[in-house]
Amino acid sequence: MIEIKYFGAVAEKTKCAFEKVASSEVSLQELLQNLEEKYQFESLSFSVAVNQKIVSKTGNYTLQTSDVVALLPPFAGG
Amino acid sequence: MNAASRYNRQIILPEIGDAGQYKLVKAKVLIIGAGGLGVAILPYLAAAGIGQIGIIDDDVIEVSNLQRQVIYKTSAVGKYKVDEAKAMIAELNPLVKVNAIAEKLSGNNAISLFEKYDIIVDATDNLQIKYLINDACQVTNKPMVYGSIFRFQGQVSVFNYQNGPTYRCLYPDENSSSANCTDAGVIGISVGIIGMLQANEVIKMILGIGEVLSGKILVYNGLNNEQQKYDFEKNTTFLLDKKAFEEKYSIIENTIEEISIGAILNEIDNQETLFLDVRNEEELPKINLKNSIQIPLMNLENEIERLNPNQTIYIFCQSGIRSKMAGELLQKKNFKNVKSISGGALALSQILKNKVAD
Repeated sequence: MIEIKYFGAVAEKTKCAFEKVASSEVSLQELLQNLEEKYQFESLSFSVAVNQKIVSKTGNYTLQTSDVVALLPPFAGG
Repeated sequence: MNAASRYNRQIILPEIGDAGQYKLVKAKVLIIGAGGLGVAILPYLAAAGIGQIGIIDDDVIEVSNLQRQVIYKTSAVGKYKVDEAKAMIAELNPLVKVNAIAEKLSGNNAISLFEKYDIIVDATDNLQIKYLINDACQVTNKPMVYGSIFRFQGQVSVFNYQNGPTYRCLYPDENSSSANCTDAGVIGISVGIIGMLQANEVIKMILGIGEVLSGKILVYNGLNNEQQKYDFEKNTTFLLDKKAFEEKYSIIENTIEEISIGAILNEIDNQETLFLDVRNEEELPKINLKNSIQIPLMNLENEIERLNPNQTIYIFCQSGIRSKMAGELLQKKNFKNVKSISGGALALSQILKNKVAD
């Protein structure tokens, strides 16, 4: 299982703070595409971390079981 | 009331001592924004004895600010935030010099302002200005202490610290959007917590103690007390020098120069220059000059190739409002010399009638 954490406005869209998805040789790019289709993030921009490290969204990293992915949008309040 | 007794409880910390207190007294910190984050940070930095604190914000206090901007009094509604903040600090710690700047931060004042301080604290509430602060910090080589809020969650980081990663390394997409407190809602405690974390980074940097949140973003969730740090690296795809900064910000923020038709009579029918009519085709009076063309404002962006960015262009519409918008659009597209004709087509047609009568 891969755990995905959501923050800020992204979590408002997903209506959950985290979820787990079955992992079968899925690349980060594919995972993000699947999430986009499922949640329609559209204009929401966010950075992506794998195991607490911000990574390129377009890299072809293959996710491993027990990886933790986080979607981090910028916040603007103050 | 001497300084040694005022600061005794922190001077006795082995990490601070007299030497550390001296560093605090010599430090100059600029806080951008006197809203929720700014007024959480300001009193703690002042109480700790930071020698000079600048605070910039052009807002006045509104009653809806008071649930989170806790240094302001109900009786001060309608007054400038920075003036009230300065008065509050004068009572809290008269040893601190506060520079209250009731202005909006822009490309025009950022560089000269940042140069006067050691550390820049971002306590603002919109994304665009964070890019401006980031870029100005890069040009002036100052660290930027970032904090921001989304509802019960907050983010903190320190950018551009000792040539470390910047806001753009974390969030490269300048055109993204995120709700601020006005739109999303916020409780005062959230901005208080994040402001405290920012103030803590400021103090650590001045003293040279602990680990600064450089290359890391801390994300805090007040609803479940979860706190995580994420690492990010410096990428060098966006580096600005002073000249590039000025081009990026100052030109965009320049307002379009208005010119009266009387001042440019000689330009009529002069093929070296261009009169650009941004009205729709059906609008009257028709203006036909040897050197005029018509591109309605709504089509301007698509038909911009018809114009020469190096030519002097006098823009007009019916009254002078659309022509200013058109001018701003062209300036953003790097047109060098565009002016808006005040009074628009009506003033222009009057002049043309008089010219014929002569």
